[in-house]
Amino acid sequence: MQKATLTFRGFAAWFTATVIAGLCMAASLATAAEKPTSTSSRGKAAAVKEGASLFRANCSPCHGLSARGGGRGPDLTSGRWTHGSTDAAIFRTITAGVPGTEMPANGFEDSEVWAIIAYLRSLAPPHRTMVSGDPANGKKIFFGSAGCSNCHMIRGSGGLLSPDLSRVAAARSVAYLIDSIRQPDRDLSAGMLDPNNHYGLPLVYDTVTVVTARGERITGIARNEDTFSVQLLTTDQNLRLFLKREVKEVIHEHKSLMPPYSEEGLSTSQLHDLIAYLETLRGEESGSKEGR
Amino acid sequence: MKKIRLLALLLAYSANSYAQVTYERLLGSAREPQNWLTYSGRYSGWRYSTLNQINAGNASHLVMQWAFQVGDLGQFETTPLVADGVLYGTGQNGRAFALDARTGRAIWRYQRNLPEKLQPCCGMVNRGFAILGDRLFMTTLDAHVIALDAKTGNLLWDVTSADYHQAYTFTVAPLAVKNEVIVGISGGEYGIRGFIDAYDAATGRRLWRFETIPGPGEPGHETWAGQSWKTGGVPAWITGSYDAELNLVYWPTGNPSPSNYGGERGGDNLYSNSMLALDADTGKLKWYFQFTPHDLYDYDATQIPILVDADWEGHPRKLLIQANRNGFFYVLDRTDGTFLFAKPFGNVTWAKGVGQDGKPIVNTNLQPNPDGTRVCPGALGLTNWFAPSYNPETGLLYVATSTECDIFTSSPQPYRAGHDFLGSVYVPDPVERPTGALKAIDTLNGTVKWSFPYFSNPNGGALSTSGGVVFAGDSDGNFIGVDAKTGHDLWHVQLGAAIYSTSITFELDGKQYVVIPAGSALFAFALP
Repeated sequence: MQKATLTFRGFAAWFTATVIAGLCMAASLATAAEKPTSTSSRGKAAAVKEGASLFRANCSPCHGLSARGGGRGPDLTSGRWTHGSTDAAIFRTITAGVPGTEMPANGFEDSEVWAIIAYLRSLAPPHRTMVSGDPANGKKIFFGSAGCSNCHMIRGSGGLLSPDLSRVAAARSVAYLIDSIRQPDRDLSAGMLDPNNHYGLPLVYDTVTVVTARGERITGIARNEDTFSVQLLTTDQNLRLFLKREVKEVIHEHKSLMPPYSEEGLSTSQLHDLIAYLETLRGEESGSKEGR
Repeated sequence: MKKIRLLALLLAYSANSYAQVTYERLLGSAREPQNWLTYSGRYSGWRYSTLNQINAGNASHLVMQWAFQVGDLGQFETTPLVADGVLYGTGQNGRAFALDARTGRAIWRYQRNLPEKLQPCCGMVNRGFAILGDRLFMTTLDAHVIALDAKTGNLLWDVTSADYHQAYTFTVAPLAVKNEVIVGISGGEYGIRGFIDAYDAATGRRLWRFETIPGPGEPGHETWAGQSWKTGGVPAWITGSYDAELNLVYWPTGNPSPSNYGGERGGDNLYSNSMLALDADTGKLKWYFQFTPHDLYDYDATQIPILVDADWEGHPRKLLIQANRNGFFYVLDRTDGTFLFAKPFGNVTWAKGVGQDGKPIVNTNLQPNPDGTRVCPGALGLTNWFAPSYNPETGLLYVATSTECDIFTSSPQPYRAGHDFLGSVYVPDPVERPTGALKAIDTLNGTVKWSFPYFSNPNGGALSTSGGVVFAGDSDGNFIGVDAKTGHDLWHVQLGAAIYSTSITFELDGKQYVVIPAGSALFAFALP
């Protein structure tokens, strides 16, 4: 295969699609508008199988192998559809893409789109998992006792070190969130791609420690790195920029800087409250209601 | 002294006056290092120059001379050519250009009007021109071969090689030999049936075609189960090398389709992942050597064949060497394809080794399955299409390598014309972040002499010179010069975008230049 320069054909599809997006967007929208909602696409084993194969080849680079989300694309098994949950809406999202996001228009044939929808329907629960918990208390925990906001930011408030969670509910399942809190090391990078590069390197929230010439140890997350330099966002939330030839050592540890929150640190009921709060974070729409 | 002055005068003459690039000049390209006349610099595939003004002692002083913006996005994979003071390059999305090699100023620009629905697997790329006479030859993403006038960029002829609706496409830089323009097709992701074509440089008439999958009744056809040969892939997307004495063109081939599911293409799948030796006049197969029979990992053999004459076990022998994507470094006799030697040049798990017969000893428990199997090297290979460099002074082959291992999953997939035909997907092993290295391999024993580490796995190749410098570009945007003997870092510059190509060098007005594509620009460096 020629994809010498790309790990995933999906990116090539994205690139091609982007180039011709202007032309095909209008056509795709028109097509989708004329389509009846394809309830017939549901539950057909053959379509699900075809859809799975298409999904793996074209969508998994961003959405993850099992559609549970990747570095660039949201979880599609959560039952929440940010851009519309009807078959017609999902059809439109796939064919026309989502302007202003990384979701490209795709040049599938209609039958292929329906197969992908059938596959996604086979994965997703019909409704979002309901969380019993008190979001108001969860918010207090987030910004208070659990110290989440020391590192994570929500709508402009909080720390810089870790991923911004303003839209986390739109992108991640409840199960994923619980995992990330209880065992942050477990799924640092599985199936994810670094959104900053195009060759499919896994997105890694590794811990990086620079040992300076004077023996000082400085730990943080590498915002960028190459053979000659490393750009660190340190645990005290400063940018420290190093030339590798001027430091003693650069140590990479495949573990998260985030501490695991066990039962002792965060009880089950506190966890449920926290998740209930995170579940309200869906970006602009919820932001206006939620705004701090 | 007089001799030197005369030589300088001759060089100045050839540098400043436009002359036809005859086949004789291409044959003798080693004698005019002031130019860069073929994809690999010379027919032997070396990507090596005898220029030595820039050397290990002064490379740290290199400064930029000019930059040229192509004005388009996507991977910039061209190898520019330089003839008599003019630089010729191809860009992304069907673009091409000619520049004043001294200033970087454009002389002309060409833009191919490409159809909308194209299916190049891996970007709207092109790897460069071939030059012959006063013409440039270029392949196109819509599967045409075209000839342009070198002075104006005017289109002289345009022939259709294959149907782009069926996902046939071209990305290769052609090879000009005698009166022929030789090209190989791309599209191994879409179940094409691959070929290598030769066209008449004067008229564009097709002179011969070698089908890389034998048809019914032809030897090798039996290596494809059922009807799988019809959609078996086997593209030929990297420029071959040429031995004028043997009159053989050496052209490597790519993967069988679907790349990661072999259930319906039982057999060795000839001539996938092979080195082909074709008669330059007729395209008839003289010999072949298959590196990875019945491939399940996408190990195209599309790495530049390097032709070296050396003593082998006490006797002079015409060798062909290749550091293959499958992780093994190979030495063959290029007169008849005899397998001489193979050795891994990095971490290889898919095979335990290569037997005396040249066939890999495959690890059958690592075949892709629906649940995923971790295999090294990954689908992108231990190395890939980006050019290696052979330096006869050090006897080393400089190869950009990757540490990536992939999780391969595999499942049957029905063929549909013009649609991707992979039978799988693969993802990088999520636990180990892939890195890379520029490695120097001793060509006589396959030993890795030194290794210069890359933070990320590379997409750019290497150029070496008599100045004892190896130039290479990494995926983090660094253009790097290292010591050819030791691998020590001499100089680097950050160009702001990943490098997807390999540098060339030339001389003009007594000044040696090194040119590298990065992002969507060409950058030229020289000593101050």
